Order: sequence, then C-alpha cells, then structure tokens
Amino acid sequence: MAQVLQVGAGSGGMPVLDMICRDPRISRVTLIEPDVYKPHNVERHLFPLCAVGEPKAEVAEQWLRERRPDLDVRVMTCDLLDPGSQDAIAAAAASADIGVCAADNEPAKYHFDALMRRHSKPWTLGEVLSGGIGGFVHWFVPGGPCYGCVASHLQRAAPAEKPPAPDYSQPGGAVAETTVPASKAAIQAIASLHALVTLALLADPAGYAPGFTSLLWTLQRVPDVFDEAFRPYRFRVARSADCLICQARPTPTSSEELDVALDQALARLGDA
Amino acid sequence: MGLLDSEAGKRRLLSVEIPVIERYNEGRDSAYKLRVGRQGTSLVLRYSLKPGHNVYQLETRLVSSYPTVPPETRVLTPLKHCPHLLEGQTLCMWRQGSTRMTSRWDPARFTCVFAIQAAWRWLACYEIWHETGEWPLPEAK
Repeated sequence: MAQVLQVGAGSGGMPVLDMICRDPRISRVTLIEPDVYKPHNVERHLFPLCAVGEPKAEVAEQWLRERRPDLDVRVMTCDLLDPGSQDAIAAAAASADIGVCAADNEPAKYHFDALMRRHSKPWTLGEVLSGGIGGFVHWFVPGGPCYGCVASHLQRAAPAEKPPAPDYSQPGGAVAETTVPASKAAIQAIASLHALVTLALLADPAGYAPGFTSLLWTLQRVPDVFDEAFRPYRFRVARSADCLICQARPTPTSSEELDVALDQALARLGDA
Repeated sequence: MGLLDSEAGKRRLLSVEIPVIERYNEGRDSAYKLRVGRQGTSLVLRYSLKPGHNVYQLETRLVSSYPTVPPETRVLTPLKHCPHLLEGQTLCMWRQGSTRMTSRWDPARFTCVFAIQAAWRWLACYEIWHETGEWPLPEAK
C-alpha cells in the first residue's frame, strides 16, 4: 500500500493523478491544488462542463472517489507556497511514499524539490512544452540530482517577467494565456509517460534505472527545434558538486539559531 | 513564503549569499562595499560601481521568490534613455531560455554577486553606448 503526494490537478496533473490512482497499490493520495475550474479549462481537462466554478481539488476528489471508492483521498485547497499551510504540507510529505509534481511554475517546482529532499522521498515531474510540441518527464531520488541540477543542465531559467496585469475590463474572466496552449492529446501523451515513470519509480525507488534522469519526448517536428516527431531524447544528469540548491552547507540546526545568525549577519552587512 | 520567511530561504542566505557578500566586501574601499537591508519580504543590496568614467549608485533587490526568480537591479543615478533599460531604470539583464550563458539566470549556479558583476558589465556597455551610440554586446537570444 502506497501513499502519494501530488501538487497540481490542472490539465496535465489530473490525467496523471487519474492514471496513478487506478493502480491498486495506491491506498492514499493527498492533492494540493488551489485553483478553481474555469470555462477555458474545459477544452483540455478531464472534468465536465458542469464542474465549472468548483475548486479543482474538490472535483478531483469526487472524480477519484467515483472510480476508486476504497482510495483515501485528501485534498488541500491551498497554494504549495502558502506560508500558513507549510506544516500540513510537510506532514503530508513525511507520510508519502512518492511525490508527483504537476505544477506549471518554477517557484513551485523548486519548492516541491526542497520539500521532497527534506523528507528523503522520490518524486517525478512532468512538463508539456508550449504548443504541445513535446514534453519532459523527470524523476528524482534522495541523494540524486535535484531540480536545480537538472534545470541548470538543461539550460533553462526562471522567468524574469512579471505576471500579467489583471484584465480590469473583465473582472474574474479568463486570463489570456501567454504561451501557445497544448492540445489535450499532447497533454495526455506526456501525462501517460509521467504516470508510467511514477509507477515504475514507486515499485523500486532504490533500483530504478531507466537510462535517463530526464526524458524529452517530441510530439511534433518543429524547424530549428525538433528534427522529427515522436523521438525520445534521454538526458542523464549527474548531481552537480557545486549546485547552490542541493549541496549541503553548514548552517545552524534550530530555527531560533538560524534567525539569530541571520539577524547578526544582516546587522553586520547593514553597517558595512 | 520566501527568502526571509522560510527556512529554506534563510538557509540559502546564510550559507550562500551572505558569505559571497562578505567575500565581495573584504578589503574593498568602504564607498564600494555592499550594504544590505530588509525591505518587506525582500532583501535590498545598495552599492556603488565605477565601470569606467563615472560612479553609479545601484540597488539590487532579492525578491521574495529569489533565487528561483532573478534579482532585480536598478540604477539610482539618473541615466540617459538607452537600450536594455526598463521602467524605473531597472536593468534588463536576464532572458529566459537565452543561448548566452551569462544572460540566463541559473539559481543553481549564480549568487547575488553574479548579478552585481552583470550590472557592472551593463554599465560598462552603457558608457560605451553613451560615447558611440552602439551597444557593444549583441542582443541576448
């Protein structure tokens, strides 16, 4: 019997959650998802049109209960980075056997990575590329490369742009997407790979060796980007000895000592 | 949830950022040392740079989601309107997915001092642009 902690039940996260939870080994799932199901989600989501306006976490819970009545489903309708929810999220991570990240923003991915490393849990991450031209599946185990090592190796960067300003002409309306949306078929293809990697990793976290750390699967031929469709690229990423994200450096152990040390350092540098 | 109010953020500051700031300041003329202060959920570094002819006052802000999100640097000294300068005299220094390594913010490899070195390079380009009308580095792609 295994417990899963998943963040994200959007168009990419929900099919992964659905496929993973069909596996009889899964006995409990905790889902973190803050968003409400919007009309523009319907085109690419598993949920029906009548669920528009409901929190995605609650619709996901209902979806899973209808298919696996024996499954213990727990939902947290909060943001992964919500300061007030960190104790509950840490408790869910501590009791999970595996983590599944289907978040679509870099701060959440780094935060989930730190959470899983802190609790020494394996986890997976799926990413559909803009326009559905392909996607990545990554897997992580304690002691292996962190998300920072992988992202640095794959030469990506955190977005420097600010989030788009709200549309005051249409309060509460759909926010225009700044990337080209992927089709449901493309999302489903990458979600299936993500679910396969997750279930295989769960079966043997210590011995899992698929020959990659990150798998890029192309779905379309795109000039100057991908030479051909349906081609796998396997990236073997080693843990970086000088990664600023995962390399342990000595710091005070208790949070009180940490606060004191930080206050002293900032006072010292304020008077430099 | 971030740099100054999470354990991970505080540990990053104490183990990575503060040591490199102290190393930067070591033996440096006091007028050019980095001074650090809290501002809400951000940490602000104030400092002076002299890339060539002039001395510029700058401010680099480590926002709440730093280091995932790159630091924001702005020049407090008035500048002429020029390329790669954003609103509020904020320097345009990072481009997601850039093919040039130094134009791509990498939280696993860069510290706030890297951002200060990038600001120095930007100001050196500004002084050349001021003289010649040409920005000496190619656009980040």
